Amino acid sequence: MSGRGMFLVRKLGWALLTLAVVVTFNFLLFRVLPGDPAKSGMRDPRLNPQAVEALRERFGLDKPVLLNLEGGNPLDTQFTAYLGALARGDLGTSYAFRDQQVSDMIGHALVNTLWLILPAEVLAVVIGIGLGLFAAWRRGKPADVAALTFSLFMWALPIFFLGIILLIVGVNWFGLPIGGRITIGGQFESFWDLAVDVGRHLLLPTLTLALALIGEYMLIMRSSVLEVFGEDYILTARAKGLSTYGVIRHHALRNAMLPMVTLIALTLGFTVAGAIQVEAVFSWPGLGALTVNAVSDRDYPVLQGAFLLLAVAVVLANLAAELVYGWLDPRVSVE
Amino acid sequence: MRRWRTLPTLAALGLAIAACTTPATSPAQSAGGDASAAPSDPGTATGGTVRIGMKGYPDSLNPGNGVLSESYIMYELVYDAPLSVTADGEYVPELATDWEVSEDGLTWTMTIRDDVVFHDGEPLTAEDVAFTMQLYKDTEAFPFLPSYVSSFETIEATDATTVTLTTAEPYAAFEPAMVFVYVLPKHIWEGVDDPVEFANDEMIGSGPFKLNEASQGEFVDLATNADYWGTAANIDGVIFQVIENDDARVTALTSGQVDAISDVPDTAIPGLQNAENVKVHIADVAAGGSLSDIFFNVTADEDCPEDDGSGNPAVCSGHPALKDVEVRRALAHATDKEQLLTVGTGGLGSVGLSLVPPGLGDFYGSEITDYAYDVAAANALLDDAGYEDTNGDGIRECLADQDCDDLTMRLNYPNDSTSGPRESDLLKSMWSEVGVNLVVQPLDPDTLTSVCCPTFDFDVIMWGWGSDPDPAFLLGVALCSEIDSGFSETGYCNPDFDALYDAQSVETDVPTRVDLIHQMQQILIDDVPYIIPYYYPDTGAWRTDTFTGWLETDPTLGLQDASNLTVLRPAE
Repeated sequence: MSGRGMFLVRKLGWALLTLAVVVTFNFLLFRVLPGDPAKSGMRDPRLNPQAVEALRERFGLDKPVLLNLEGGNPLDTQFTAYLGALARGDLGTSYAFRDQQVSDMIGHALVNTLWLILPAEVLAVVIGIGLGLFAAWRRGKPADVAALTFSLFMWALPIFFLGIILLIVGVNWFGLPIGGRITIGGQFESFWDLAVDVGRHLLLPTLTLALALIGEYMLIMRSSVLEVFGEDYILTARAKGLSTYGVIRHHALRNAMLPMVTLIALTLGFTVAGAIQVEAVFSWPGLGALTVNAVSDRDYPVLQGAFLLLAVAVVLANLAAELVYGWLDPRVSVE
Repeated sequence: MRRWRTLPTLAALGLAIAACTTPATSPAQSAGGDASAAPSDPGTATGGTVRIGMKGYPDSLNPGNGVLSESYIMYELVYDAPLSVTADGEYVPELATDWEVSEDGLTWTMTIRDDVVFHDGEPLTAEDVAFTMQLYKDTEAFPFLPSYVSSFETIEATDATTVTLTTAEPYAAFEPAMVFVYVLPKHIWEGVDDPVEFANDEMIGSGPFKLNEASQGEFVDLATNADYWGTAANIDGVIFQVIENDDARVTALTSGQVDAISDVPDTAIPGLQNAENVKVHIADVAAGGSLSDIFFNVTADEDCPEDDGSGNPAVCSGHPALKDVEVRRALAHATDKEQLLTVGTGGLGSVGLSLVPPGLGDFYGSEITDYAYDVAAANALLDDAGYEDTNGDGIRECLADQDCDDLTMRLNYPNDSTSGPRESDLLKSMWSEVGVNLVVQPLDPDTLTSVCCPTFDFDVIMWGWGSDPDPAFLLGVALCSEIDSGFSETGYCNPDFDALYDAQSVETDVPTRVDLIHQMQQILIDDVPYIIPYYYPDTGAWRTDTFTGWLETDPTLGLQDASNLTVLRPAE
């Protein structure tokens, strides 16, 4: 097998192992918390005891957690039931929404989250990298200072605060919608009207998320480009008489992108879990909102599902980053 | 997230679905203020969709599964029940035109309307009513509804318009129970294998509104049922939109993106009262209503449960001095409920008395005298009982026969309560005036539940309840028999109280039952397992320039109430 193939196999193996650990950890993590999901899923302690018993049995909570030492099949436990269902692709039924499949809830929320995250990420990556490059190129000049100040400010600003400010300004001055994905119950004459409505709803949350990310991307990009600018080969390139554009395009950009790829991959992985605060401010029914509510409801199946998805997203994003690394810097895949 | 242990409070209970059931009462209710004040003629315009911003989303469209009050708002609008209850606590016909009990009190007969059709066009008959009650009774994993029908030994549709029910002993709470029987279409539900897993996405009922579309966590879009057997609404429909963030919900109202909001944050009320075209509605005695409570762990050693629900014996670590009723009475005297009301609700609710809120009408023990806020009286009680501050640290010492050093106690409250930090500070300073020291620790609601009951590993907890339309439900928390189940939060046990409880539960004569319920409240005041600082207000706000006819003259009505939504008209 070629070095490249081995590299791929090794990385995939690590990814799978990580997931197996995460699945186990996820399961145990929620069960060491105090509280009784059969009751707290109901958010009300005055359930009649029959209902609590019936629910416990329904959720499988009457079984031992890891090992059945009380006789019978030692593997008849909550953990094996969870693994078995997971292997069949069944994430179970929510405790708090007792007639809803976890996979449906998460699927629905994931679509909404991607709907919000992807435009914001694209915007942030393009503008953040552009701004970072620009600032590095104009280092020390007023443009650099302005860009740097803007980025530091955005990076330091709590995102929910930024969201609320944008919401109040956007709604009161520009008549933008308060939140949600689309005008509920709206009748649209044409596809164009629908697109405008969706765009208006998307504008504020996307802007909030993008602004917060731009600051971070810009700062990393700037410092990474500056570092590369100090390298000897840049000096050589300049000495050869290349234009500034040529130096950046052919020599600096590719090397400066390495830390950016890591950063983008990491944020992308985590934002899949939902931009929790942005979702809360703009009533966006995404994964973040789902997870937050599941925590307060002790809704184990939803939490397990959401954390599994988060883990898969982070692992996949890292895997993608490693592969892109290999492409950007061929030394990585050979070593 | 969720405020308190909220249950279907009366406010959510379509109090006056009566308004649409019996057209005669509907104009009368809104005319109450119109006759004298005559603010404006509501006009004759129809149509339009009312948009309401609400904080939470219903946890299930399946009436059996619902826990949150948001769910019950939907059930009230989409389903009909045999009876309904008015804002005054009076039970009035809805699907049942008539109901009566046999001489021996053991057989109930309801006559069901013959002109009702479900949203899918199928007729509703006594058969559907009986099927529904049997379904609720048989499905034990439904959290609440089974308890309302479990007393019936037999449930039978004797003909197309008659339902006959039998009980083993007389059933006093028949009428309140019938308010919760949301009648389901048998032709749909009989094919359902597991009612708990049935999501009920179609939500076919017979109520004044029918489901258009719902998206979890986002919105519920209801259309007016034009073929409703009662008075159909004047508007085309209503959209409930989830806006969880308080500031966003308020901005949605002021910017005109919604026509009304529920759960108005206290801090936003002054601003909204000055806002243009916005009316703030404060029901200071919320119908049914929820209350805040301070309760003591008074579990006696012999009552300590052997199983705390997870197989271990309960802890029962309550402060020994709290088992002394004189200490609890002193603490009641030392508690300034007015101040707690101001801090907890911005002064919008009303001062508390007992576990029966004033929204329950006659059942509220209005003649009972509460402990006055009187620090001197509190100190005198503690002095007389022998609790003295011998070491001069400002904290009274325990009695010699008590297994404790001084009156230092733990106070827990749920960390999702926004006013909790300030209320607990206030309580700590009020009680320090009488030599009682509180060590305050907020806990997340689930942890609080697990230290509370039936573990009884706490001294004092500050929390709250939402009431049922029937007072017996909440009074049940003080029963000896509920200590093991975890429904009792205090471990309080008084056989006299239990005897009264048993007597009222089979008492079908209302005035006699009211008297029994008052006696029970008096016992709880005398024994002080609970201090009830205040009753929560029910707040809502709406725009005056989009729809008219909101029932603002009724001090108790929630704005999402069916009676409101059926009389609204678009502003001209």
